[in-house]
Amino acid sequence: MAENPDIRVEVTTIPYPEYQQRLLTAVQGGNAPDVATLDQIWVAAFAEANAVVDLTDLAAQAGIGRAQFFGGAWDSAVFNGRLWGIPFNVDVWQFSFYNRALFEAAGVDPASIATFGGLRAAAERLTGDGRFGVGLFAHRGEDTVVVANSFIFSNGGEVLDAEGKCALNRPPAVEAMRYLQDLARFAPAGILNASSGDMRELFLNGTLAIEFWPALEQPTLLKSNLDWDFVNGTAPEGRTPVGTFGGWNLAIFDSSPHREAAWKFVRFMVREDVNGDVVDLIPANLKAAEAFLAANRRGPERILQHLANAHPRPLSPRYLELSDLQVRLYQDIFSGADVQAAADAACRDIDRLR
Amino acid sequence: MPRNDTLFHWLMLAPALAILGVMLYWPMLGTVIESFHDSSFIRPQPRFVGFEVYERVFGGRDFPHIVRNSVVWTVAVVLLQNLLGLLAALLLNRGLPGQGMLRAIVLLPWVLPGVVAAIVWRFMYDPQLGLINSLLLRVGVLEQTAAWLADSSTAMAAAIFAAVWKGFPFSALIYLAALQSVEREQIEAATIDGAGPVRRLVDVTLPAIRGVIVVNIVLTTILTFNYFDMIWVLTRGGPQSATHIFPTKIYEVGFGQFRFGEAATYGVVSILVLAVLVAFYLLATRSTAARRRTA
Repeated sequence: MAENPDIRVEVTTIPYPEYQQRLLTAVQGGNAPDVATLDQIWVAAFAEANAVVDLTDLAAQAGIGRAQFFGGAWDSAVFNGRLWGIPFNVDVWQFSFYNRALFEAAGVDPASIATFGGLRAAAERLTGDGRFGVGLFAHRGEDTVVVANSFIFSNGGEVLDAEGKCALNRPPAVEAMRYLQDLARFAPAGILNASSGDMRELFLNGTLAIEFWPALEQPTLLKSNLDWDFVNGTAPEGRTPVGTFGGWNLAIFDSSPHREAAWKFVRFMVREDVNGDVVDLIPANLKAAEAFLAANRRGPERILQHLANAHPRPLSPRYLELSDLQVRLYQDIFSGADVQAAADAACRDIDRLR
Repeated sequence: MPRNDTLFHWLMLAPALAILGVMLYWPMLGTVIESFHDSSFIRPQPRFVGFEVYERVFGGRDFPHIVRNSVVWTVAVVLLQNLLGLLAALLLNRGLPGQGMLRAIVLLPWVLPGVVAAIVWRFMYDPQLGLINSLLLRVGVLEQTAAWLADSSTAMAAAIFAAVWKGFPFSALIYLAALQSVEREQIEAATIDGAGPVRRLVDVTLPAIRGVIVVNIVLTTILTFNYFDMIWVLTRGGPQSATHIFPTKIYEVGFGQFRFGEAATYGVVSILVLAVLVAFYLLATRSTAARRRTA
């Protein structure tokens, strides 16, 4: 770094599937890096384990605050009232990407899929002759959770309430899950073992009319021959769709012997003029995001609007277990279980985690 | 044996035994100790809780499924793999033309890395793009595509089928070696006595390779019980735990959720089952060796 010639940065890139395991092993073995990106859903666990540095005071002194970032991204780094990371990059699940040619052929107005009723009607009309209206998935993966969450959030529901109690068995969440259960009739078979990646394949080959992905999907679609566009999620009539935040925060490890240099590095990476050049998702810095989206994504204003309205996933040190229980619940629902009974059972297990 | 010789032998064995102890038995002992502690990433300091974690595991929703799935998976794969392996070995032992090529073709699934084979099968089972659905639809067996891996009633059978395909060449190879050691004179004598092919197989060939069959079954049972990559790639233990077996559950709890104490408990139960299987293996090899000595 030209501004800090005394700081040398060694970057290690690790594929996502093994990243968390490698990082945890390094922390437990006392070989943690100085700085690492943490998936938003890991922050609480790392904070609870005292593995990362409390950045609350450092950020305040440096003038770094919530207003400079997407609110949901900033909130994903706050646990027990303290700040444990600085938002680095973000995205939101989900945008409903649609195949314009299939919509035109079926005479469906793309704007209609922004509402629960409209999406269901469109999915029904777009299903048939070996094609499917909407791509749903419920494999054991986080993409299952974030998409279901966004339907629940958009219907006014929550995963955990303000006291940390499971809210999945309350009316707004149950209604949203019933809606998804019904929508499954217009999705390709095999939901329980399907991922967003599987749905992408079907969308790209023209078998699927609507796929759910974050904005990260755009570079792939831009390289394809499809005539596509997107709308910002789906909500009941009269409501604004609420997405689920995804993304990464930069954290400094408690074992770091170079905390000062690490903090300088973190500040550098989230700077307005730098953040957009060092991310593959969307910069977490608001101003950097505006410039990045204008240059790299279709519909930047719509993306910004959806990001501004998104909710983070619950901040729990036992998030991974919570997520696993949610996946089981969604698998039960897509298997045809009674939604209220399945949600009650899931909430009993989730509340035991507290 | 003179006392000095015995001492010398033990001295020579000591480095190997020490390495074995450190590499194999110490981690195993560590797992047993860990299983009596509650520890996770967020509570890295292990807290002794006695049998509390065992109670949690045995009382959990998943445990009965995992035991049942492990039994179904192991028994089905072992039986089918050995049956198919034996049939393949009998075929390859007939001296058919192009035998070298045939052996290479039969061995191919076994040579493929486990993860690659699993990915291939995942594609083949795909409800929309998979070869299996496409074939079955074309010949009229199916009226609409089936989601083999996403349906709780078919996922385990689909995983078993793929595992048998991957594993049967291993059994075939061992049976082929055993068949080639069966004395020709015995077969010829049975033929002269009027025994047909089935009678020769049942009364001469199978008794002659009985020891190998037993050892092979025990060995494949141990390997199958520990088989991880096929199920993990195909279903990750889903849907709804329909294909979760001990290794996939241990991985999920230990490396997916970092609940080390609970993963260790599943590991100990798994070790106990394997210990029984190893005991069977040792008994089988001992009786085979004894038969050879008396023959």
